[in-house]
Amino acid sequence: MDAILVEGLAKRFGARTAVEGLTFRVGEGEVFGLLGPNGAGKTTTVRMLAGLLSPSAGRATVTGLSIRAGEPLRRVVGLLTEHPGLYDRLTGRENLEFFIRLNELDVATAWPRAELYLERFGLKGRENEPAGGYSKGMRQKLAIVRSLVHDPKVLFLDEPTSGLDPESARAVRDSVAELARDGRTIVLCSHNLAEVERLCQRVAVVKGRLLAVSGVRELRRQGLSLRVEVEGEAARFTAALAGLPFAPGVLTEGRVLRVLLSDEAQAPDVIACLVGAGARVRSATHGERPLEEVYLELVREEAAA
Amino acid sequence: MSERFHWRRARAVFWKDFLDLRKNPGLIVSMLALPVVLVIVPGVVVYSYVRNPDDPNLRVLATYYDATLPLGVNSARFLIERTLTDWFGLFLMMPVFVPILISSQAVAGEKERRTLEPLLASPVTAAELMVGKSLASLVPAVAISWAAFLLFCAVVDAVAWPFLKVLLMPNAMWLFGVAVIAPLFAFFGNGIAVVISARVAEARLAQQLAGLFVLPLVGLVGGQVAGFLQAGPEYYAIQGAVVLLLDCVLVVVGVRLFDRERLISRWT
Repeated sequence: MDAILVEGLAKRFGARTAVEGLTFRVGEGEVFGLLGPNGAGKTTTVRMLAGLLSPSAGRATVTGLSIRAGEPLRRVVGLLTEHPGLYDRLTGRENLEFFIRLNELDVATAWPRAELYLERFGLKGRENEPAGGYSKGMRQKLAIVRSLVHDPKVLFLDEPTSGLDPESARAVRDSVAELARDGRTIVLCSHNLAEVERLCQRVAVVKGRLLAVSGVRELRRQGLSLRVEVEGEAARFTAALAGLPFAPGVLTEGRVLRVLLSDEAQAPDVIACLVGAGARVRSATHGERPLEEVYLELVREEAAA
Repeated sequence: MSERFHWRRARAVFWKDFLDLRKNPGLIVSMLALPVVLVIVPGVVVYSYVRNPDDPNLRVLATYYDATLPLGVNSARFLIERTLTDWFGLFLMMPVFVPILISSQAVAGEKERRTLEPLLASPVTAAELMVGKSLASLVPAVAISWAAFLLFCAVVDAVAWPFLKVLLMPNAMWLFGVAVIAPLFAFFGNGIAVVISARVAEARLAQQLAGLFVLPLVGLVGGQVAGFLQAGPEYYAIQGAVVLLLDCVLVVVGVRLFDRERLISRWT
């Protein structure tokens, strides 16, 4: 069953179109990535899906509720905004209690769930300190807990690791992975493609409009490449490959050459060329392209168009 | 989309804002500074009249305000009563000023701290947000005004009693004014601050702009002291009626400005 169903969604602010023609589905319990450069409309899309903005055109449902439903929709979704947005003078506990109250839940009943997340995110024992004294990572984790206190069915995470040091970012990523294991539907907006690759099953690439929507693996398989490991420095053989009639794109890293092909039948020619140039080939496999490469290609193609 | 008003959520906003206020000593000191001045100064003025009630200069001063003042009237008491009547005009600055200090934080403060988006992403509706935030500003403003009024009465009577042997305060005009007109003024201060706070990005700027709305009150009191305006129960009742009308306008404007989409797309 689809947790999120989006059909032809568009948002205009006056004469400016933020996004248009978005159509995709997110399955229940799926971790779905929303990718795109700055200003591509990711945050606008999330705000529409979370019931903060009304769409200018199109329609969408989240857990069966129209995104125009307003308050009932906001009850079933959780939103982690790009900035944690905590009340610094209030303690961590008071910050959470406020959102428990806003969701009209009994604090005594809902607190054990909040405590569970505090424990899971390593904040237990710090909840009675003013949030203003928290580190950046702690603030982000408290903001995630805040988005979970009402047990939402769908969680939107907008740049959850933005601006965090590697250790904090990793802790937050691990936390998101744990939430995904709980079976919660998660939509993740991120510039960190490695993070998306690790956490998401499917992604949508947007830049004002939908450029692609696909499984992460399927997306990485778009376009052929040949991964060739040679003895010695691989960069020595790029000139030889440039002499091939189909002049393939080549990336090198240490002993590895990644040769971009337009046709699978070009692979034997590449190997023959390398051997002819004196390379001792240790292995050759068809490889998946890094998500980053596919993403950049999509975005550049859109810019060129 | 229709969104029903839930008092529980409005109370939650009130709870948070009130808690935040209690933990903000700078704001509390700012809020208490004006009441202290408005209580101490009239005490000193009353004392200056009663310490030498037979001073012939008091008669000169009294006839400046009322040229037809009969000879047998105690000039000191006349001036004290005149001061107390005029002072109510200045006292009304307090219920306007305190909500301005608090409500300027209402929306502009949420924008500054980047707490507006998570707040608007919660089930709370715009009306609940406005009511909760207004209550968090009005309750302390009215409570401070009433507490200051009680203190004011105590100070004036303590100073005047040894000389006049009569309790001057509270009188009917002040009682009516503090019970009815002061809350209307508090509502006005809150409305102005909320409306401005929804339009600007910084709480400080909202405070400064909203603070300008206290100036007409100072001007009116200046007119009273200069003898151009004759303050009295009717005069303050008219002020109250005008402010009531302005309050109604501010409610309409405030509700329009507290539009979730407008706040989100403009300020986050």
